[in-house]
Amino acid sequence: MQSPVIEVNNLSKHYRVPVREAGLKAATKSLFKRKYNTVKAVESISFKIDPGEVVGFLGPNGAGKTTTLKMLSGLLFPTTGTSMVLGYQPSRRQAEFLGQITLVMGNRSQMSWDLPALDSFELQRAIYGIPRPEFEKTRDEYIELLEVKELVRKPVRNLSLGERMKVEIIVALLHRPKVLFLDEPTIGLDVTMQRRIRLFVEEYNHRTGATVLLTSHYMADVEALCKRVIVIHNGKLLFDGDLAALLERFSAFKTICVTLANGNGSFSHYGEVLNQDAGHFTLRIPREKTPDITARILAEQKVEDLTVEDPPIEDIIEKVFSQKSVEA
Amino acid sequence: MKIIKLVWSYLRIGIANELQYRVNFFIQLLQSFIALATGLIVLWLVFSQTTELGGWSQPELLAVMGIYMLVGGVIQSAIQPNMQRLMNEIQDGTLDFALTKPVDGQILISIREFRFWQLTDVLVGLVVIVIAIVQLKEQVGILQALAFIAALILGGIMIYCFWLILTTTAFWIIRIWELVNLFQGLYAAGRWPVTIYPQWLRIGLTFLVPVAFAITVPAQALTNRLTPLTLVEALGLAVLLMGLARVIWRMGVRSYSGASA
Repeated sequence: MQSPVIEVNNLSKHYRVPVREAGLKAATKSLFKRKYNTVKAVESISFKIDPGEVVGFLGPNGAGKTTTLKMLSGLLFPTTGTSMVLGYQPSRRQAEFLGQITLVMGNRSQMSWDLPALDSFELQRAIYGIPRPEFEKTRDEYIELLEVKELVRKPVRNLSLGERMKVEIIVALLHRPKVLFLDEPTIGLDVTMQRRIRLFVEEYNHRTGATVLLTSHYMADVEALCKRVIVIHNGKLLFDGDLAALLERFSAFKTICVTLANGNGSFSHYGEVLNQDAGHFTLRIPREKTPDITARILAEQKVEDLTVEDPPIEDIIEKVFSQKSVEA
Repeated sequence: MKIIKLVWSYLRIGIANELQYRVNFFIQLLQSFIALATGLIVLWLVFSQTTELGGWSQPELLAVMGIYMLVGGVIQSAIQPNMQRLMNEIQDGTLDFALTKPVDGQILISIREFRFWQLTDVLVGLVVIVIAIVQLKEQVGILQALAFIAALILGGIMIYCFWLILTTTAFWIIRIWELVNLFQGLYAAGRWPVTIYPQWLRIGLTFLVPVAFAITVPAQALTNRLTPLTLVEALGLAVLLMGLARVIWRMGVRSYSGASA
C-alpha cells in the first residue's frame, strides 16, 4: 500500500465576516462597532487521496470546495485540523512543496494579458527554475497536444476564453507538478473546448501519474475523469466513494426536453413537468421509464424536437443534500 | 542567484514588450519635458524674487528638482506599477497564483512589473542633476558622490518599503486608492528641500512619508550639507522600514483569504 499523497484530518476553516443591516444608519454604526458572524466554510472534513488518483470534488456553490483547495495549496491557514500534501504541511509554504503542486482556477487568469503566452511560459520557467532543455521539451509537447502553436504568439488579451484556458493549463503544468488542484477548469467553455481540456488532463495524469483534485459543475468532466468523488455541502463531507455508486443512488431520473410543432399540449400524464413555456416542455422521468415515455411522446405528440439528458450535476448534488442520511 | 535571474527575466520580457509601443515613448518624453518646464518656470519665478530659498541657492534647488524627477521616475517605472498590480490582485483574488509559487512572495510581487518608458524621467532627472552640478560653486568630490549614491539607494529602499506597507493594508481594507493619491500629493512636496517647510510638515515628510530621505538627503549629500549622522540615520530607518514592511507583509498574507470564487 502506497502512502497517500493528500491526507486531510478533521480540517476546518471558519471565517469571521462583518455583518450589518442595510441602510445608512446601520452603515454608520458599523464604522464604530462591528458585529461579526462566524462562517464555517469547512467543518471537520477528512479524506485521503492516493498517488495517481483523479478525484472529483463536488458540492454546490459555497459548499467549501474552493476553501479546501486553498488550504491544500497553502493559501489559507486552517482554523483547526491538519492536512498533509506530498508529505508537507501546505500552510508552511515551503518552496519544495510549492514547486510540486499547481493551482488552476477557471475563472481567473495568471497570464499577463499584454504578453504573448510564450513570454509567460518563459517567466514561469524562471520562477520554477526549470532547466532550459526540459522546459522546451515540455512546452513543445503541450503546445502540440493542445494545438496552440499559433496562439502562443498572440497577446493573451486577443485570445478567446477557450484558447486562453488552453494556454492557462500549459503555464500551470510547465513544471510538471505532482499534484494538481483544478478549480472549475472548464467553466464557461463550449463543449468541444471542455473536451479538449479534459482529455489533456487525462493524458497528463496517464503520462506522469500525477494526482488530481478537481472541482467542476460539468457532469461530463467528472464522468470522464474521476472514478471517485468527494461531495461536500455546507462545509461538511457528505459522500466519498465511487462516482458510479453516487450516480446510481441519486441520479434516478432523466430529463426530457420537448419542443412541439404546434405549440400546445398537455404533458402532465407522462411525468413531472419541470418547466413549460411557449411550446417547450421539460419533464423529469424515472431513469428506467425513459425509453418508454420517449416512445409514447413521439407517437402521441407533434414533436419538432426532443432531447433526453442526464440531469445536471447540480440537480444530483441537490438530491444528495435533500437526503440527509447519507453515510460517508 | 535565482532571484537575479528572475528579475532579469521579468525585466527582459517587460522591456521587449514595451518596446513594441513606441508611441508611449514619445508621450512619456513629452510628459517629462512638460514636468521639467513647469518645474523650471516655478524655479525661475522664485529666483526672480530672491537669490536663495531657505539657504538653498539656484543651482542647488535645480539639483533638488533633478533628484525629484529621478526618484519619481524610479517610483513610476519600478515601484508603483508593482504595487498597483498587487492591489488589483488582492482585490480580485488572482494573488493566489503569486502566493503558490516556489519563490518568496514579497520578492515576486515586487519585481513583476517594469515600465520602461517611465525611465525618461530618470534620464531627464540625471541631465538636470549634471547641469546643476556644473553650475554649483563648489566641486562635488568622490566622497560626496558616494554619499549621494548611498543616500539615493537608501531613499529608494525607504520609498519601496513605504509603498509596500501602504499597499499591504489592502489585505485588510481592500480599497486603498485614496491612500495612493495621498502619497502622490505628498511626494510632490519633495520638489523642494524639506528644510524650507515648517517643522511639523518636515517631520511628516521625513518619518511618515520618507520623501525627505529620498530626495532632500541625497541633495544634501551633493551640496555638501550632509552630516555622517544623517546618513547613519537613513541607514537605520531603511533597515527599520524593511523589517516593518516584512512583518506587515507576512501578517497580510496570513490574513489573506482571497476573493472567494
